Amino acid sequence: MLSLQHISKFYQAGGTRNFVINDISLEVEAGEFISIMGPSGSGKSTLLNIIGMLDEPSSGYHYFAGETVHQLKDKQRSALYKKFIGFVFQAYHLIDELTVYENIETPLIYQDFKSAERKAMVADMLDRFQIVGKKDLFPAQLSGGQQQLVGIARALIAGPKLLLADEPTGNLNSKQGEEIMQLFKKLNKEDGVTIIQVTHSEKNAEYGSRIINLLDGRIESSKQL
Amino acid sequence: MIKNYIKTAWRNIRNNKFYSVINIVGLTVGLVVGLFILLWVQDELSFDKFNTKAPNIYKIGIRGGSGPTEQIFSAIIAPVATSAKNELPEVKDAVRVKDFGSTTFKYQDKIFNENGAFTDPSFFSVFNFSLIEGDAQKPFLDNNSIIITKTVAQKYFGNEDPLGKVLSIIDQPQLFKVTGVINDPPNNSSIKFDVFLPLSYLNQMAYVKNSTRYNGTGRIASMDVDWISFNYDTYLLLKPNTNIAKLQKSLQKIHERNKPDDAPVPYIAQPLLNIHLYKADGSDGGIKTVNTFAIVAILILIIACINYVNLSTARSMLRAKEVSMRKIIGAGKAQLFFQFMAETTLMFLIATILAIGLMYALLPYYNQFSGKQLALNLSNYHIWLCIVITLIITLAASSIYPAILLSSFEPLKALKGRLTAGMGNASFRRMLVITQFSASIVLIISTFIIGKQLKYIRDKDLGFNKENVISLSMHGIMPHYDAVKNELLKQPGIIAVTRSSGNIIDYNNWTGDNDWDGKPANSNLLFHPMEIDKDFISFFKIRMLQGNAFTGAIADSNHLIVNETAVEAMNMHEPIGKRLRIQTVKGTIIGVVKDFHFSSMRKKIEPAVFMYNTSNGWDMYIKTTGGDAQKAIVATQAIWKQYNSNTPFNYTFLDESFSKLYKTEQQTGVLFNLFASIAIIISCLGLFGLATYSAQVKTREIGIRKVLGASVAGIVKLLALEFMFLILAAIVIAVPVAWYAMSKWLQDFAYRISIEWWLFLIAGLMAMLIAFVTISFQSVKAAIANPVKSLRSE
Repeated sequence: MLSLQHISKFYQAGGTRNFVINDISLEVEAGEFISIMGPSGSGKSTLLNIIGMLDEPSSGYHYFAGETVHQLKDKQRSALYKKFIGFVFQAYHLIDELTVYENIETPLIYQDFKSAERKAMVADMLDRFQIVGKKDLFPAQLSGGQQQLVGIARALIAGPKLLLADEPTGNLNSKQGEEIMQLFKKLNKEDGVTIIQVTHSEKNAEYGSRIINLLDGRIESSKQL
Repeated sequence: MIKNYIKTAWRNIRNNKFYSVINIVGLTVGLVVGLFILLWVQDELSFDKFNTKAPNIYKIGIRGGSGPTEQIFSAIIAPVATSAKNELPEVKDAVRVKDFGSTTFKYQDKIFNENGAFTDPSFFSVFNFSLIEGDAQKPFLDNNSIIITKTVAQKYFGNEDPLGKVLSIIDQPQLFKVTGVINDPPNNSSIKFDVFLPLSYLNQMAYVKNSTRYNGTGRIASMDVDWISFNYDTYLLLKPNTNIAKLQKSLQKIHERNKPDDAPVPYIAQPLLNIHLYKADGSDGGIKTVNTFAIVAILILIIACINYVNLSTARSMLRAKEVSMRKIIGAGKAQLFFQFMAETTLMFLIATILAIGLMYALLPYYNQFSGKQLALNLSNYHIWLCIVITLIITLAASSIYPAILLSSFEPLKALKGRLTAGMGNASFRRMLVITQFSASIVLIISTFIIGKQLKYIRDKDLGFNKENVISLSMHGIMPHYDAVKNELLKQPGIIAVTRSSGNIIDYNNWTGDNDWDGKPANSNLLFHPMEIDKDFISFFKIRMLQGNAFTGAIADSNHLIVNETAVEAMNMHEPIGKRLRIQTVKGTIIGVVKDFHFSSMRKKIEPAVFMYNTSNGWDMYIKTTGGDAQKAIVATQAIWKQYNSNTPFNYTFLDESFSKLYKTEQQTGVLFNLFASIAIIISCLGLFGLATYSAQVKTREIGIRKVLGASVAGIVKLLALEFMFLILAAIVIAVPVAWYAMSKWLQDFAYRISIEWWLFLIAGLMAMLIAFVTISFQSVKAAIANPVKSLRSE
């Protein structure tokens, strides 16, 4: 479903290039659950952002769902990721002014779903995540775990094929973290959502089907579980 | 989608109460003041427009006098109108109006003063004063007809049919039958009277029956051959596209053909639509004030808009996270753009509703204040035009800018908070703050200078003493003046009594009928002739420079006293004993008085001549001791009653008449005070918001500096300095602008203050101080906060 070939990302500093990502090639099949690990500054988040098309590589080839991403225009690219990709962030990044319900609904608004459709989809999602009772609360009124749950619900609402998560449990305690990981595993197994997560935790990484270790912008090792 | 925008906008307004209140208050106040001023401006510009034929109506005047006394006479001789109508094909109709002032009318037991005029029947068809009752074809049935306004009809006759009712003038035998009723002239009419008598009646009384007017060949038997009395406001209704220059020449020819010794008499035709705001020669007659106020209104609206723009762009940085998130979950540029628009529009809507409510509440006070009778009419599209334009400008500046800014950045960076430093586009906001404060400072300086000039006028030595003087018109006292004077002088509190043929505060009579030894052939010098009694000069403490005042001797009837300016204008050396003829008085100059101001300080002092006359003089002056003024008034009233059984007793203090002379200037002064205060308040509101924001953004920096040992004062300085530089820049811009504008304003005064540099200094310091207080409020708060707290929140 996804193919990166010789992807590099660097910053020009004087005469030298500082590589954040250095010639990475990666194939991801539909249905995989990949954990990206590595020390701080190894390029994990950058790699994830490139995959999510939030960031552009300096060189290399990027294919996604049959499209040649590196040749697409901005508009086409955002249309592509709107349709296929959902994001989950370490800091949740919910919109403070919107309620739980509205936060989950917002992506649908931007994708021009009809009001009745949106209602049904959000209700379904609230039900599935068992947060119906919280739907009228604002993010500030929720615990971290609950906020992340909403974040995931929001990422999944438009039915993405690929879920990208940047340290989704980083701000959570271990119990909450475990719940989120269970949820990811279930999504991957039962709903067939492809997941790529960045994590620091060995334990969380092992929920995945493959672990990729990065060091200084290169893939140091890759291990199938 | 729209529902979503509005919902988000509303929550944003609600969740940021501080900024919302600042924004809404600023916008509301700006709208109220801006709209109020624009209402005033619109009213001024609407004068006489209700006349449907106005574009083709011209008022006729002539230029007279020479040298320093050149004048425009707006009232002209009567026959010009008739001749023009008969001889010139482009003149469709002509109207003459002769004001007869306030006159007391009576119907049964109802007695009121009415302002009236003699006029031609064409008055009611040329102007939009058509009869609502009576015969439009023949408004006046005969010479004893009267036409009245609706209000007058109501006053005398209540709900009875006014037609055919008979009004009389107090103490006079004539009776006038009401033959027509017109609607009250609108407030924005330059021509405003309560009652109208036929001009033919005036002709009958003043010429046909008993003419006191003579020309070279004898008694003048009709108004239409009187080529010497400049008494009639004359309006011509012209055919469309008439060549005005040619018309003026034709009128001049008519005049010169009939009165060759007047030549040359240049004629001026002034459009009716101009007479409210321009003088006949096209110079300023109020248009400057109107323009100034329009500019001020726009400035205040701009200042209010800038507040909004500044705060919302500054705050947009704080909202970078939200916007990024929306982008990541799929928001397009257009969608973000409309979200911002929705917010601004909602904010504006709230401010507009508040502003309109406030305007309704304040309108009575504003009318009192501005001397108008404005109405807030929401169907007036100008109001909405103004609101919509302000909205569009605010929208453009405050939504489009941040919308483009926010929707164009890379969301990832914003999420990481890296944007706050780079994206502020502080220079744009700085520019706006400078604009705001420049405008405010210009207004402050203007207020100072207007105030100072007004004080100068008030305090300037007029050359005569107007303190504790009551003036009144004599009416029935006139024939018994000497007896009344003696009686009055016996009353406690009355020190002196005198009389003259015109009001010394604003004396407007002219004569060009004069001659003196050595008068150049081409001179057309005009004099202000004033008939006085022997006590006038000492009464007003007018200083004699040479010669003597009148003594009351019989010979005084051929004696004249002139002012310094007259001596100079006649180019006369050693004037005492020289011969001077004024109208029919062939006299000798016996004295010269020091110049004194007998008209507004806008005008230079002009040549004046005192003539001695014991029987003429309508105005009586009574000097009282300040403390017993009230007693003096009561005593005067009692004596008045003996001679004027029916005419109401009216008096004014000269001080009051003097203040009235500068009513417009006083109003301008008060309004400017208000505008300047409001401009500075709105500007400070914005500055306060910006300072708060700036302190917020710098919370971390302040925390770190404090941990490193910075003092509170040092941190306040850090925060305040940035803004103080902006104010300084504003002062630099404002000073020349204010100097230029105020020099222009002062030019209208023949007697004026010079603009001094320290006024600018004070205004600048004031702005600095106000701004500093505004800023330090927040800065101090930020500086004394516990750094641990601010660092932890990062």
